[in-house]
Amino acid sequence: MAGRVYTADPSQERTAVPLESLVAVYHARSGMTHLLAPPASEILEALGQGPGDADAILARLEAQYEMTGSGFREAISARLEELEASGLVQAK
Amino acid sequence: MSDEGLDGEGAGRASRRTVLAMGAIAASTVVTIRPAFAQAAGSVMNCQIPIPAPEAGAQNIAADGSLVAPGTPGSFPPAPRPITGEEAKALLNSGMSPPGMDGQQAQAYANYIRRLQAGTSGFTCYASLQMPR
Repeated sequence: MAGRVYTADPSQERTAVPLESLVAVYHARSGMTHLLAPPASEILEALGQGPGDADAILARLEAQYEMTGSGFREAISARLEELEASGLVQAK
Repeated sequence: MSDEGLDGEGAGRASRRTVLAMGAIAASTVVTIRPAFAQAAGSVMNCQIPIPAPEAGAQNIAADGSLVAPGTPGSFPPAPRPITGEEAKALLNSGMSPPGMDGQQAQAYANYIRRLQAGTSGFTCYASLQMPR
């Protein structure tokens, strides 16, 4: 099943500052700053490899991280929707 | 947190893999901490305040900043060009006249800027000058 495909602005459009386990992200295009908790920041980073749906993001994260928890795909979809609401990513 | 037992496992795989907890679906992970005013602060030096606002028509500016009919004694003609955010800030904070404007005229314009109300041209620029940086 193909899910919604998401894209993120190029990383130059953002300034990210790690704050312990959180990341503060300033989004130049909107002038807004967001605090991201894991795994939202990792998902945003994974979108830096190009547009992708939840399955593609899951594959990218699995290649890089030891993932814990359950319902990965659903959790990623929920985080992508949050990121979309914040304006940091767009759905195609 | 480390992930013992994975090190050295499988060639071509990263030797140390960070653990990423996916968390609950309902757990919110994105909080917006600063609204769009941040952008206004960034562009404040480039914004402009027309004196008077174009919608006011060809009126003069009295010393107290109110709009009066052209020719009213003691009033000043409209500013020859809009005042930039940077000039307005210098004028309001330290009384520095924008280039090409004399002191009394500039003071009348400063009073006009202070009286700007929401919905008038230049108000957003003035409002953003008030924001702490």
